[in-house]
Amino acid sequence: MSSAQMEDQSQNQSVKCTEIGGSERDSENNMSSSTSRFDYYDPISPWALDIGGSLIKLVYFSREDNSLENYLGKSVAAENTGVLNGCTTHPVLNGQLHFAKFETTKINECLDFIESKQILGSCGRHQEVSGGKTLTIKATGGGAYKFANLFKEKFGVRLDKEDEMDCLVAGANFLLKAVPHEAFTYLDNRKEFVQIDPNDLFPYLLVNIGSGVSMIKVDGDGQFQRVSGTSIGGGTFWGLGRLLTKCQSFDELLELSHRGNNRVIDMLVGDIYGGLDYSKVSKIGLSATAIASSFGKAISDKKELQDYKPEDIARSLLRLISNNIGQIAYLNALLHGLKRIIFGGFFIRGHEYTMDTISVAVQFWSKGEAKAMFLRHEGFLGALGAFKSYEKHGFGGLMVDHLAEQTPIVSPRPHPNQKVNGPFTEELADNESIDCSVLSVETLKLT
Amino acid sequence: MAGSVGNPVLGIGDIKPEVEGQTKEVKKSEGSGIESGEEREEEMAMAAGNSIPRSLSRPQLDVSGAAIQGNLEERDPTILLPNQSDDISHLAVDIGGSLIKLVYFSRHEDKPVEDKRRRSLKQRFCISNGNRRCYPILGGRLHFVKFETSKISDCLDFIKSKNLHCGGMNLHRWPCDTWSDENVVVKATGGGAYKFADLFKERLGVSLDKEDEMDCLVAGAHFLLKAIRHEAFTHMEGQKEFVQIDQNDLFPYLLVNIGSGVSIIKVDGDGKFQRVSGTNVGGGTYWGLGKLLTKCKSFDELLELSQRGDNRTIDMLVGDIYGGMDYSKIGLSASTIASSFGKATSENKELEDYRPEDICLSLLRMISYNIGQIAYLNALQFGLKKIFFGGFFIRGHAYTMDAISFAVQFWSKGDATAMFLRHEGFLGALGAFMSYGKHGLDDLMVHQLVERFPMGAPCVGGKIHGPPLGDLNEKISWMEKFVRKGTEITAPVPMTPGTTGLGGFEVPSSRGNTLRSDASNLNVGVLHLVPNLEVFPLLADLKTYEPNTIDLSDHSELELMPLFLVDAVGTGSEYCLSICQILLTRLWLVRVELMMLKGEVMHLLVHCQPTWLGIFQLQFCLTRLMEEPAAYGKLGLANLLELREECLREFQFSDAYRSIKQRQLLPPSLFLFFCPFLFCGCCYGVGLTKEKSNYRWENEASLAVLPDLLLELDSMSEDARLFTLIEGVLAANIFDWGSRACVDLYHKGTIIEIYRMSRKKMQRPWRVDDFDMFKERMLGSGDERPPPHKRALLFVDNSGADIVLGMLPLARELLRRGTEVVLVANSLPALNDVTAMELPDIVAEAAKHCEILRRAAEAGGLLVDAMINIQDGSKEDSPSVPPLMVVENGCGSPCIDLRQVSSELAAAAKDADLIILEGMGRAIHTNFNARFNCDALKLAMVKNQRLAEKLLKGNIYDCVCRFEPSS
Repeated sequence: MSSAQMEDQSQNQSVKCTEIGGSERDSENNMSSSTSRFDYYDPISPWALDIGGSLIKLVYFSREDNSLENYLGKSVAAENTGVLNGCTTHPVLNGQLHFAKFETTKINECLDFIESKQILGSCGRHQEVSGGKTLTIKATGGGAYKFANLFKEKFGVRLDKEDEMDCLVAGANFLLKAVPHEAFTYLDNRKEFVQIDPNDLFPYLLVNIGSGVSMIKVDGDGQFQRVSGTSIGGGTFWGLGRLLTKCQSFDELLELSHRGNNRVIDMLVGDIYGGLDYSKVSKIGLSATAIASSFGKAISDKKELQDYKPEDIARSLLRLISNNIGQIAYLNALLHGLKRIIFGGFFIRGHEYTMDTISVAVQFWSKGEAKAMFLRHEGFLGALGAFKSYEKHGFGGLMVDHLAEQTPIVSPRPHPNQKVNGPFTEELADNESIDCSVLSVETLKLT
Repeated sequence: MAGSVGNPVLGIGDIKPEVEGQTKEVKKSEGSGIESGEEREEEMAMAAGNSIPRSLSRPQLDVSGAAIQGNLEERDPTILLPNQSDDISHLAVDIGGSLIKLVYFSRHEDKPVEDKRRRSLKQRFCISNGNRRCYPILGGRLHFVKFETSKISDCLDFIKSKNLHCGGMNLHRWPCDTWSDENVVVKATGGGAYKFADLFKERLGVSLDKEDEMDCLVAGAHFLLKAIRHEAFTHMEGQKEFVQIDQNDLFPYLLVNIGSGVSIIKVDGDGKFQRVSGTNVGGGTYWGLGKLLTKCKSFDELLELSQRGDNRTIDMLVGDIYGGMDYSKIGLSASTIASSFGKATSENKELEDYRPEDICLSLLRMISYNIGQIAYLNALQFGLKKIFFGGFFIRGHAYTMDAISFAVQFWSKGDATAMFLRHEGFLGALGAFMSYGKHGLDDLMVHQLVERFPMGAPCVGGKIHGPPLGDLNEKISWMEKFVRKGTEITAPVPMTPGTTGLGGFEVPSSRGNTLRSDASNLNVGVLHLVPNLEVFPLLADLKTYEPNTIDLSDHSELELMPLFLVDAVGTGSEYCLSICQILLTRLWLVRVELMMLKGEVMHLLVHCQPTWLGIFQLQFCLTRLMEEPAAYGKLGLANLLELREECLREFQFSDAYRSIKQRQLLPPSLFLFFCPFLFCGCCYGVGLTKEKSNYRWENEASLAVLPDLLLELDSMSEDARLFTLIEGVLAANIFDWGSRACVDLYHKGTIIEIYRMSRKKMQRPWRVDDFDMFKERMLGSGDERPPPHKRALLFVDNSGADIVLGMLPLARELLRRGTEVVLVANSLPALNDVTAMELPDIVAEAAKHCEILRRAAEAGGLLVDAMINIQDGSKEDSPSVPPLMVVENGCGSPCIDLRQVSSELAAAAKDADLIILEGMGRAIHTNFNARFNCDALKLAMVKNQRLAEKLLKGNIYDCVCRFEPSS
């Protein structure tokens, strides 16, 4: 399937909460279409940020050259990169897109991380190259406004603010078009990749579940409309979950929910009807196990918060939120006649149960007509979009899309051991880096 | 008859083809044949409505109607119904996941007085047999009660104590053992109808007849929207506005029932509906999560907490993400919630570090917005513009409703409106109740339901008597203690079975001291079913008819209202005025009035021994009304006065003003002295009633001068006489205890002096002067004399000089011209208004002085008691005198709402072509702008300076004579 070799990279970054996977891919025969597009000098900033309410998402590019090897250490071995070795002779920077996330409250960690990269990475050099010019970094999300000054003070970089929705859509479009096996459905514990014909991609409903939820009807590249949203999103799960279970992290909460049983807390149809299905007594098909009221059982018992198992609470909460998002998403898809609903955002984190619940909700309400699809790089849509916006402004071209169109070959492989502190390595492994090539002005000069 | 027994006839015909209709009649009347025996049984079954659910039993009952008609009148209604009352279950339950909702029907205790006046009227107007209903619908009250499902035994105790499971009949009338071996069936819906069926069987011996939940919801909503005026309302930014539902343009709509979970139902017509969606995030989620997060003990506590919360400490707003900026590109302001509870993630705070209030509010907004959004999305999908929200989650809580409205508005960009129902929580229970089908309630129209404030209502099943009290201090402190104790009860435990009628259930979860306008209380009064109320048939346009001339909720009336109200309500008391003036600057006018009503309650406590629980409840109602005047529907003056009179009646002052009307040896000065107490419950007056005295001061005084007046009138020309009569009505209208100014007048002289002075003062043109138009209609212009009116309805006002010297002479003149005259008086006492009960006596007295009145009264059956012997002869002697009749108007307020009048008035109005409305209450405060299908004359003297200025740009004592020819 793939002509490229992939290599696990056990990264030992100073910042522990990043998960950086790497895999590499050849980037041959893509120069013809791209070289002509760039005829002026401008520094590339291989960074893009998406600073959301809860998380900061970072996408950065690393080149397959010495400087990259400096900080990636042993990650890139020449024999693995194969054809890539020739990259330096190309007018294209071949390399990897890396993804990292930080909690917004711990923005300093993020800054430290960037700082560490800046010394080693290409940014610093660009700064030198660009002389007195202020470096700009593409950023999106509310934090791009909120923390603009912080970045200015710390690095002297200007955050170039890109619209959040623009970025989300651009990121999603990029992923869907360029990265093979990006989208998948998840139902009954089965993950199934969906091959989407890039020419038959639109229209679709993009549901980005961040702290809150945005629902965007996408009609084409750059053509979209935010049709709806809800305030019950990842932030709600985390926030309520933290209050209810004293979990310290989102992932811990997800982990807990894995082991829970929501029947202890949710009021099921059977609880009201004394174990009967409502379908037995009525034409409406509600099974006894359908949730009639989330947390509905918490009212009638004499139990206090501490009498409930945190696992059960987490599970119940997760179902509440997933169900609700699934339902609202489906209703919006229905209203706008969209068959394809694509879920992204950091709430999901490849968590099976979440995806399952969302899928079930969509299936239930649509009576099987609509399917929920998920993205492997779900959390980084905004950041990717911001990264892509460099291209929009006339410098640099992210070539994966180009490549993918021609040779849809690579399916990046999960990297089970790359995550430092998260328990869900297998899920989070989806956030591996994507091999890609970026047209570098520098290399343009070289040609 | 032959036609009506058509089906059985065929059967007989087969056997004896030669026998025709006559035989059948004979057979039937004899009741001997086998066939007719069967027929009888069938008839009985039909009359009883046994086990056949049907909505309109008219056809069947028509069958028996003709044959039994003669007897029907004689039968005591309670005897007529034994078969029926077996089946009439008075109770329906909706057992949900969190709450049990009960709807029960209690019959009105007092049997209608079937006096001779009424019977003669019935004969004349054919009320009993020509009416819409062929079997008696019981007048009574629909009560609404709720319990928590976890406390189901409380609910069972309650049912038992009220004997609701055996049809709610009084034990002494229907001994319980007749029920014991029968299988009593109670309609039930909700999941608990299945879950708790055995429990009901075991504890109460009733089986629950399960009705589908969705059917019930829709039926309940349909009933409410059809039958209850001011049921639906919108609630935006704290403003409540009632929506007039157009019955013809109601469907389709979306019904969102927010119980533990949420059901979203698309309703296309009566009984045609589809559950299109729902969500599991509903009231149960709010309560459950809220309980886990805040340790609140009850739902209401949660709601209450949320009132004081600030969700910004917990919710992540757009501004929090964007550093205080709006995300204007997609129309999100900085204060929009981006993520509910989103801030709880980012800080190092634990649950204990957040205020429970903030958590409650955040949770409430989260769930309300979500429901609003999902509801709107569904409405949009089906193209529905109307969304009704019901269910117990809302509880009339202003913030919840605002949040839902906001969500609907936000997402629909103003296209759709969220509407709420006042009986929101009882949709299912009401629907189950409706499913009995045979109580005929579904046939009720809006005008037959009078919603009353829920005070005293639980006393229906039996009276409660407070302990006798010692001195005043003790009384007050006892009351305070009682209230304090009462406020701790959230769902009171019923007394032992047998002592029925425990109060407090109407507002079981309210807590008086902390009661807030939009907190926990039910916005539900008791529905009084008054089956003999109808719409006044002569109203020109029922849809646009609004009785109240001035809407009290109009804020521009602030300046005008307080004094006007005080006057109108008839205090005249310095006491109330002082309260009023203190509060005038700050409080809203209605609150002022309600404050006074509360004062009334205090006085009742001090001076009487009323029903304590009733007062307890009244306190709730009044507090509720003070906080939110629209709590029980739109509040107009008519309602307020109605409430006032209702209060007095509930506390067993059958006619608080009786003593005043009779003026028992009470000099004006002394009377004024007692005025505060008069207004405040007329306790003193009640005390005085005990001293029996035959001296009816005002009526007597007026009757004494009546002969002279009549002589004087008879000597005049027709022109002058008509003028004098109208002037006389206006002048006599000055005797109005509803006016403070007029009470002052009593200081100055005797009744006749005032009357004469009043007449002298009046100078034409009056402030509104259509007299010439009226004269032309009556007497014509030139030689041409228009035909006299066929029948005139005279809506009379006050007792005393007003009726004796004003309206009676006018009635006499109309009678003389060959017009039938119907005097329309209050059914129930209010202020010093004359009642339909008293009127025949007054007429009888007046008839002693006047032959025309005597003969007319005889013809109208008013003098049957007095002169039985003369009756037959006089009819033959002078057939030329048309009858003078008295009908009751069906209300007990100084004002009149013509949408709800007694059936006898409605019947009397059918042939009427002239309406004369007299007095401030009936002609100005209400109905001033009402249009009729016949000639209408509105006569009143304005006895209030501010009203005169405001409405007529005139002065106090200005007169209104407004004539509107039939349109």
